[in-house]
Amino acid sequence: MSTGTQTEVVMPQMGVSVSEGTITKWLKQVGEAIGRDEPLLEISTDKVDTEVPSPAEGVVAQILVEEGATVEVGTVLALIAPAGAEVAPPVSAPEAPAPAPQEVPPAPVAVPEPVAAASAPAPEAPAPAAPPEPAPAPAAAATQAQAGNGKTFVSPVVARIAAEHGIDPSAVPGTGTGGRVTKKDILGFIESGAAAAPPPAPEPAPAAVPPPPAPAPAPEPVAAAPEPAPAPAAPAAAPAPEPVPAAAAPPPSPVAPPAPPPQAPAPPAPAPVAGELVPGEELQPMTAMRRGVMEHMRRSVDTAAHVTSAIEVDMARVVALRSKLKPELSNQKVNLTYLAFIARAAVDTILDYPWVNGELRGQSIVTRPFVNLGIAVALDEGKGLIVPVIRNAQDLNLTGTARSIQDLAERARTKKLLPDDVQGGTFTITNPGSFGTFHGTPIINQPQSAILGTYALVKRPWVVQDELGNDVIAIRPIMNLTLTYDHRLVDGAYAGMFLRDLRDRLESWDEAAY
Amino acid sequence: MAEMTYIQAISDALRLEMRRDPRVFVLGEDVGVYGGAFKVSLGFQEEFGPWRVIDTPLSETAIVGGATGAALMGLRPVAEMQFADFISCAWDHLVTVAAKQFFRARTPVPIVVRLPSGGGFSGGPFHSQNPETSFAHIPGLKIVCPATPHDAKGLLASAIEDPNPVLFFEHKHLYRRIKGEVPDDRYTVPFGHARVHRPGDDATIITWGAMVHTASEAADELAKEGFEAEVVDLRTLIPWDKDRVLEGVQRCSKVLVLHEDTRTAGFGAEIAATIAEEAFEHLDAPVVRITAPDTPVPFAPPLEKAFLPQVEDVVSALRELAAY
Amino acid sequence: MAVREAEPVGSLQEVKEVGLDREDLLAMYRSMLITRGLEERGHILYKQGKIPGSFYTGRGNEAASVGVATAMGPNDVGTPLHRDMGVHVVRGMEPWRVFANYMGREDGPTRGRDGNVHMAMAELGLHTMVSHLPAMLPVATGMALAFKIRGDKRVALGWFGEGSAGRGDAHEAMNFAGVRELPMVFICDNNQWAYSTPTYLSYPVEHIADRAAAYGFEGVVVDGTDVLAVYREARRAIEKARDGGGPTLLECLTLRMEGHAVHDDAFYVPKEMFERWAAYDPIERYRSWLYDQAELTEDEESELTATVKRLLSDALDRAEASPQPDPATLEESVFASVEDLDTPHHK
Repeated sequence: MSTGTQTEVVMPQMGVSVSEGTITKWLKQVGEAIGRDEPLLEISTDKVDTEVPSPAEGVVAQILVEEGATVEVGTVLALIAPAGAEVAPPVSAPEAPAPAPQEVPPAPVAVPEPVAAASAPAPEAPAPAAPPEPAPAPAAAATQAQAGNGKTFVSPVVARIAAEHGIDPSAVPGTGTGGRVTKKDILGFIESGAAAAPPPAPEPAPAAVPPPPAPAPAPEPVAAAPEPAPAPAAPAAAPAPEPVPAAAAPPPSPVAPPAPPPQAPAPPAPAPVAGELVPGEELQPMTAMRRGVMEHMRRSVDTAAHVTSAIEVDMARVVALRSKLKPELSNQKVNLTYLAFIARAAVDTILDYPWVNGELRGQSIVTRPFVNLGIAVALDEGKGLIVPVIRNAQDLNLTGTARSIQDLAERARTKKLLPDDVQGGTFTITNPGSFGTFHGTPIINQPQSAILGTYALVKRPWVVQDELGNDVIAIRPIMNLTLTYDHRLVDGAYAGMFLRDLRDRLESWDEAAY
Repeated sequence: MAEMTYIQAISDALRLEMRRDPRVFVLGEDVGVYGGAFKVSLGFQEEFGPWRVIDTPLSETAIVGGATGAALMGLRPVAEMQFADFISCAWDHLVTVAAKQFFRARTPVPIVVRLPSGGGFSGGPFHSQNPETSFAHIPGLKIVCPATPHDAKGLLASAIEDPNPVLFFEHKHLYRRIKGEVPDDRYTVPFGHARVHRPGDDATIITWGAMVHTASEAADELAKEGFEAEVVDLRTLIPWDKDRVLEGVQRCSKVLVLHEDTRTAGFGAEIAATIAEEAFEHLDAPVVRITAPDTPVPFAPPLEKAFLPQVEDVVSALRELAAY
Repeated sequence: MAVREAEPVGSLQEVKEVGLDREDLLAMYRSMLITRGLEERGHILYKQGKIPGSFYTGRGNEAASVGVATAMGPNDVGTPLHRDMGVHVVRGMEPWRVFANYMGREDGPTRGRDGNVHMAMAELGLHTMVSHLPAMLPVATGMALAFKIRGDKRVALGWFGEGSAGRGDAHEAMNFAGVRELPMVFICDNNQWAYSTPTYLSYPVEHIADRAAAYGFEGVVVDGTDVLAVYREARRAIEKARDGGGPTLLECLTLRMEGHAVHDDAFYVPKEMFERWAAYDPIERYRSWLYDQAELTEDEESELTATVKRLLSDALDRAEASPQPDPATLEESVFASVEDLDTPHHK
C-alpha cells in the first residue's frame, strides 16, 4: 500500500484467528534509513512474537503507533518514504495509536430552510420546515389491518384481489373457517357482479402516500389513496355496529377495515430489472412507500379522466383580514394561514357542488352532505406524503379550520396521527405554491373526484375599477387555484362554476360570516 | 416401450450408459459378482468385465474419493452406496473435495453417487434415511430424487452426463413396487424441471421421491369430495423448479409441502420460505408441511408407520386446507 | 515384507546410473533455490500484510519435494500438499502465479477462491489439495484406478504427512490401492511434527513405512534431506508402479524447520533438534555435494543464484500487478458446465 510515494507498514495477520497485535519495539526511528525487508519493528500477538520487515526501502517517515499499543490487523503502523525524501524530525514521542478513530467534526447537517415568508408570500404551509417522519401511515395501516372486520383473518391473496378490484372483503360472503373469505369466495363475488354495488359496510380510505423527494412544505402531486376500499357511503347506508361517538355528523364506520396495509402494495411478483447499468448509474432498491406512490399514482391516472382548470384570485381582502386576525388568534395559539381561508371557502363551495366531493362507485354516484377534507402534508427529505383528514370540515369556522390544520400538521410531524386521521377523505387540498410555482396538475387521491391546488401568492399589476368605474391598474396579491377533477363524473362547466364561486367567496370575504 | 419396475429402469439406464460411453464404470461394495445389494448391476460384470464393475473393499471414503480421482482423470464413475445411510462415511469426500474442486480449481468432477434411500420396510435407523437435504445445503452438489421408472431412467442418464457431482437418491420402497412404461432407447430427463404427477387447481402439493405416490393417493381421495389438488413432483432438489412451484402457488393459493425426510431444516422449509418470500400475496391459507418427525427412523412397524407420512395424514391435511 | 532403509547417494557415477546428467543436477538445485526463495519471500509478504489468511512453508522439505517431482514422468499426476512447493516448481508452475495465489489474486490458480498455499495446476498433472489431510490420498488412488482401468502407463502420486497418516482416509486409500495393485506411490513427508504433536503421539511403530506391509506393498524410508536419494527411491517406486508392480509407500524423513504456520514459533520443538537438523539443510547439503562430486564452480553458482533472484523479483512485480478477483464473479463457478470438461487434463 502506498500513499502517494510513501509506503504503508501495516499490522500483519499472524494467523487466521489473530485479530490484533502489540508493538513491542520499534527497531528504527523516524528519519532513519531502512532497507527493504530489513526488520522495522517487533510485534507480539497471542500466537507468536515476530519482527515485521519493511515493505520498502527508504526512510522511516512516520511512526503512527507507539510501543506498547495494541492495534487491529491491517492498521497502518508507519510510513516509509523513498530515500532522500524530506522527513519531518521526530516529534518528542510517537503519536497516539493510529487506529483511535479520529475526531470527526460534526458534519454540517442539511437543515431545510424555513419558508421565506417575505419574498414569497405563498400560502403558508400546514407542515413547517422540519416535517415529520413517514412512520404514522404504515403504523396506522397495520393497526387497521389487524383490527379485522369482526369476521376473521383476510388471507394475503384475498387482500390482494380485494385491492385490485376495489372490494371490501367484509362485503363478501365467506365460506372458509369461521366465515373467512376464501380466494374462491372473492373471485365468485367478482364474477357475479356483486362487487359493483356499494358494499353493505362503508370503508374509510386512508390516504397516506409518499411524495417526490422534496424537503419542504407540500409537494405537487397529491397522493392517491392506496386503499382499494371505497370511501364512506352515505350515512344512511351505513349501519353503525357500535354507538357513534359524539360527533355531529355520522362518521365512517368505526369498524376498521380488514384491508391490507397501504404501505404494503402488492406487486404480483417482483419484476426483474431490465437493462444494464451504464457506468456511473446506481441501482437502489425502492422503499415500500415509494412503491406505494408508484402504484397509486399510476392507478389513479389509469382510473380517472384527469382534467385541470385554473382560476386567478385577488386575495387582497384575505390578506388584509389575515393581518388583522392573526395577532388575536396568535394569542389563542392558532396560526392563521392562507390555507385555512382557502379550505374554509372551498368547503362552503363544495356544498353547492356535491359531485366535486363525490365518488364513482361502479355505475353509481356517491354524494355526501359532509366534507372530510384531506390536506397534503409533505414529510422530510422526500420520505413521503401524508394526507391527514379534517372530518366534517363543514362544521368548522375559520378559526376551527385553522386550528384543525395546525393540529393535524403538528401530529403528522410528531408521528401522532391515528388511523382515522388518514382515512375517509372526500376531497383534498394540496399546496405546492410555497416554492413559487404558479400552476400545476395534481393527481386525484382515489377514490375521490377532485383535488384543489393552491399556488404562490404574488403581487401583480391588476386591472381594477376605481370609484368612478374607470379601469385602472393596481397592485394586487394574486393567487392561482387549480381544480383537477375526474371528467368521468365532473364536467368542465361544473368545475368552472365551482372555481368561480370559490374565487368570489375569497375575493368578497365576508368577515361576519366566519 | 416396455413396462418396467423402478429398479429395472435404473439398471437399464446404467447399462445403456455403459454401452454408450466407455468412460462410464461402476464401483461399490458387492456390485460385481453379486450385482449389488439390490441387484441393480446384476449381470454387468459378465458384460463389461471386472475393471468396469469394480467390487471395492468396505471403504466408502475410498469409493467416493476414488470416484473423484477417476473423474479428474476423465472417467465417468458411478459409485454405489449400499445404503444411502452410509454416505455419512464419505461426507468429507463429497462435501470437502468433490463439491468444491471446480470452484477452487476449475476442474470438474463428473461423478454420480447412487443412494438407495428411504424407509417403509423396518430397515431401522441406518438403512432407511433420506439424507438429501444435508447435501442440498452444500454448494456444488446436485440432488436427484426420481419418483417413477420413466424419470429414474432419464434422470440417471442426465446425472451421468452432468459435469458435476450428482447424488442420485433412489427410493428403495419404489424399487419393485412401482411400474411404468419406459422407452427402450436412451433418453434424458433434464434437471430442474418439475413434473405434474396429477393435475388440480384447488391446492398444490409439492413433493418428490416416494411421497409423490402418497400425495397422489391422498389427492384422489379428496377428489371424491370435489377438491382437486395437484401433485408436483420436483424430480431434482438441486436445482429445483422454483418457477413451477410458484406458478402452482399463484394458481391454487393453497400449498402442502410433503417429504419423507425429517422436519426441521428439511428441504420443505426452503420451499415454504421461498413461497413466503415470493408468493405471499397469493396465499389463501398457511403453507402446510407434512414430514417425518424429528427422530431417527425407528425399527418396529407401528413406530415406523408413525414416523413415515401416511396417505391418511395427507388426506386430513388436505381436508383442513379445503375447509380453511 | 520389512521396510527398507535407503542408502545415501554417493558418487556422480551412482547418480548417472539412476538417469541424471549434470544438467539435471543443476536444474534440481535451481528448483530447490526457487522453492526456498518463494517461501522466504512469501514469509516476508505475509509479515508485510500482503498475504491474507495464514501462511505455511516447507522449509526443510525442499529436497523431498524436488526429488520426488523430478522422478515423475511427464504424464504422471499427483496431489502435493502445502510443504511441497518444490513439486509445483519442478512441474513448471511459474513463480509469479505462486505469488498471485499467495495474495489471493485473479491470476493465482484458484483465482482467490482458495487459501494461499492451496494451489495446483491440473495442466501440469497436479491437483489442488484440501485442508482435510490426507483426503487427497483416496483421490490419488482414484486417479491410479483410472489408469489401471484404461491401461494407461501412468502413475499417480499421493502425498500425506505422518500426522494425517492417523486418519482413516490413509488406510482406505492404501488398502484399496493394495488390493487392486494400482499404479501409485504414496509419499509421506514425515517432518516429525503434526502441528505440535510429535511422532510418538502420532503412530506407535518405528516408521510410517512399516504400514505398507499391512497393505501388501513395499515400504521405503529415505533421508528426505538428500535430494539424490529421494530421487532414486521415488524413481524406483514410480517405475515399478508403471510396470505393473503396484504401489509403494515412500517415507521421506525430514524436520519441519519452522512452525506449523508463520504464526507458530514452534517453541515445543527441542532446540537441539533444530540444531541437529540444521546441519542437514537440504540445499546446503546438495550444494556441497555439487562442489565435491559435480565440479560446481563459484561462477556457475553465483550466476544461478542471480538468475533465481531476478526471476523471483520479476515474479513478485507481476503478481502484485495481478488484479483482485471481482466479487461479481463469486457465484459463477460453483457448478461446471459441459464445456468445462474439455480441458487437457480431462482426457
